[in-house]
Amino acid sequence: MHLKGTHILPVAREQLWQHLMDPEFLARVTPGVTRLELTGTDTYEAIADIKMGPVKGSFSGDLAIKEKQEPSSFVLEVSQKSKIGNVSAIINLVLEEDSADSTIMSFDGKAKLSGLLARMGQRVLSGVANTLTKQFFAALEEELSSASA
Amino acid sequence: MSYIGKSVKRVEDKRFLTGQGRYTDDIKLVGMTHAYILRSPYAHAKINSMDTSAAESADGVVKIYTGADIAAAGVNGVPCGWQVNFKNGDTMKEPPHPLLVADRVKHVGDAVAMVIAETREQARDAAELIDVDYEELPAVTDPAAAAADGAPLVHDDAPNNVCFDWELGNPKDEVRAALDGAHHVTTLEFVNQRVVPNAMEPRSAIGHFDTSTDRYTLYTTSQNPHLTRLLLCAFVLGIPEHKVRVVAPDVGGGFGSKIFHYTEEALVIWASNQIKRPIKWTSDRSEAFMTDAHGRDHVTKAEMGFDTDGNIVALQATTHANLGAYLSTFAPAVPTYLHGTLMQGLYTTPKVNVDVTGTFTHTNAVDAYRGAGRPEATYLLERLIDLAALEMGKDPAELRFQNFIEPFDGVEQPGYQTQVALQYDSGNYHPVLKRALEMVGYEDFRKEQTEAAKNGKLLGIGFSTYIEACGIAPSAVVGALGARAGLFESAQVRVQPTGKVSVYTGSHSHGQGHETTFAQVVADRMGIPLEDVDLVHGDSDAVAFGMGTYGSRSLAVGGSAIVKSIDKVLEKGARIAAHKLEAAVEDLDYAEGKWTVKGTDKSIGFGDIALTAYVPHDYPAGEEPGLDFSSFYDPANFTYPFGCHVAIVEVDGETGRTKLKRFIAVDDVGNVINPMIVDGQIHGGLAQGIGQALLEGALYDENGQLINGSYMDYAMPRADDLPSFEIDRTVTPCPHNPLGVKGAGEAGCIGSTPAVVNAVIDALWKGGHQVKDIRMPLTPERVWNAMQS
Repeated sequence: MHLKGTHILPVAREQLWQHLMDPEFLARVTPGVTRLELTGTDTYEAIADIKMGPVKGSFSGDLAIKEKQEPSSFVLEVSQKSKIGNVSAIINLVLEEDSADSTIMSFDGKAKLSGLLARMGQRVLSGVANTLTKQFFAALEEELSSASA
Repeated sequence: MSYIGKSVKRVEDKRFLTGQGRYTDDIKLVGMTHAYILRSPYAHAKINSMDTSAAESADGVVKIYTGADIAAAGVNGVPCGWQVNFKNGDTMKEPPHPLLVADRVKHVGDAVAMVIAETREQARDAAELIDVDYEELPAVTDPAAAAADGAPLVHDDAPNNVCFDWELGNPKDEVRAALDGAHHVTTLEFVNQRVVPNAMEPRSAIGHFDTSTDRYTLYTTSQNPHLTRLLLCAFVLGIPEHKVRVVAPDVGGGFGSKIFHYTEEALVIWASNQIKRPIKWTSDRSEAFMTDAHGRDHVTKAEMGFDTDGNIVALQATTHANLGAYLSTFAPAVPTYLHGTLMQGLYTTPKVNVDVTGTFTHTNAVDAYRGAGRPEATYLLERLIDLAALEMGKDPAELRFQNFIEPFDGVEQPGYQTQVALQYDSGNYHPVLKRALEMVGYEDFRKEQTEAAKNGKLLGIGFSTYIEACGIAPSAVVGALGARAGLFESAQVRVQPTGKVSVYTGSHSHGQGHETTFAQVVADRMGIPLEDVDLVHGDSDAVAFGMGTYGSRSLAVGGSAIVKSIDKVLEKGARIAAHKLEAAVEDLDYAEGKWTVKGTDKSIGFGDIALTAYVPHDYPAGEEPGLDFSSFYDPANFTYPFGCHVAIVEVDGETGRTKLKRFIAVDDVGNVINPMIVDGQIHGGLAQGIGQALLEGALYDENGQLINGSYMDYAMPRADDLPSFEIDRTVTPCPHNPLGVKGAGEAGCIGSTPAVVNAVIDALWKGGHQVKDIRMPLTPERVWNAMQS
């Protein structure tokens, strides 16, 4: 599945970069994530509960941040397992300066599903991905506005 | 009274309709445990490690087996029952299919562990605690792509994923020369997509080892319990056959998918002796989608050449057939001897060559599904001839009439020898098409179609005139073609002392109504009431032997075996009657359940003779007591039903949606014992064939994930997708079996699919869109897109 999108965030690029590298901040804004722990340099262990159409599952696995070009881009590698199937994804994230206190964040990547998740969830997948993305950015904006307040 | 040809209501329906059928999953044994199979979520992956420790200590868990345990115990995988050789004579590639995989999984749903627990839920919960470390590898799912250089290998010892390559018919260069010299050649490249069988009852198996007798009992959802016993005992577990009983009780549909010997059957039998308790495994619907052997999945290029008058001069068919990751029991036979051999169709084509490459892919196994090879052959032929008519501006019915083989009854005239090995038994092809045209009101329809086109309405008509081969036999011939089993049938007719009759058949009923049809044959031949006949089937301890039910073989082969035993009963009965009546056997007539001395009113009833046979006080000298005969019947040839199916569709030009307005089927299945049951078989087959054309299709994504493995995602035909079928029959009896029957179980599914697709193509051509092919299923999106190009 192809994941792609762009969002403008009311925050300076360097500041956004700092937030995205902060596991506690990320755990608060990522939908479904109940735990995110740093396990090594730029690697995290994550636990998330996600509902995808007719199936829902508790996912656990690794996140890794690679090819860091501070503050303009990085690659996020996700590998999550669950009882209902596994997800792996590689996503390129790019941060562009829009203005002094505004940043264009775009992402482009692919996700692979397996097991029950693939059999049952495929049909609703892009809808679910869109919803999760919206939730992520909404939470991110809220977090940013409360941080600046 | 006569029962043959009467629509007797199905005697088995009383229990089915009142919820009293007894299926495998209904059986509960004392001390029974429950198994859950953990399956691979990946199409192709290396198993780096597997940790079962958490699962072992979970509530209710009795035992867990992994691939390593199976390998350590030296248990073989399940075998393949049909061998096809490469063109150069090499044996096909036959990689092992282990009961549980230890090292590398090869399709989504491949079994990696079996958890046995006190309840099904506990087994399932514990299975979720097993931690398998998979390393995902690249997968290939398309049968043609699999054979390309550089494709990921399913089995290391099958280069280019090729299981076999095979050809049949006239030499290729002769066919090529005829095509080169043809006035017109119609060429079509198409996919006959993979479909899921979707029997209403999911598969289930119970293994029981009786420690007091050292005997095993397997209850299983099987279409042929005896063959399952043979494969299980002789090839997988090496246990003596007389120590194994296989029971296939009521079975809720199979459509081919329950012919095969599955790994789960062997697993529950093997493990029941390890843990000394019965084990039940029942598939859930999701597992059924992943692991019940699928059907079809051909990628084909075909060319049909015509002379200036429209006579077919040659046919070349080249197919890549998907076999899946492992060879299911009859997988190699389906795209070869059940497909290539039908490429003559109903036509006099003088040069025919069929070339088939069977390939392994990272998908579930593909094997026989209602029609098995014959629907694929029919699709190829009937799509080509209908398209050729459009391309040449000829009428599709006329083009068929001029190419039909002339009538032959197989008695006065010999059978028809095809270019592709088979000899048709009897055929009379013009009448089925003529009758169908009458039913359609063909001339009026064409006028209506022209008028409709003026108003922008897309009406189309599609034809399919098919032939199929049923009751494959004789054993010596199928053996020469690679079958590792015989294809005869057994029957025992046991007359009880009171004159009631128990019939034991090796055929297996899983929806076909044998308890009614077979009883009609017996009651009719013996002149006794229908309710005096009971049928026993599906139990290897009760029935001597059996080859089961598939390939529309039950009545033609199993019914003929019953007739042989009836004849023996009546011959002996006549000797006893002659003694009692003090007459010569030659002077007796048998009718309406009694023997009568010709020209007199001296007679004795069947019941009296039965009692005499078991109380032999006043009895012919030297005659054995009892009235009980067994027979084995090995047919002289296949039977060859045929017919004509016509679809009339309206395509919505705005949305591409196809509405099937009418469906006409004129089938010739030989003599008919129970017209209502034959109608029902035709109806069911039509629904499945139309389902493939318009709705169904298993989808694997590029990673080998089955992405429509549920009823929310896989479109099955529903009542409102189908019109009320208009059906009729002609009767051309089979010349070589005593009932003159040919078989009706698959006909509906074989003929219907191309008729529907042809109708849509016709509708588009008449609307100005010269589209040659649309990939099935013909969803509105695909049809709409075809109209835009």
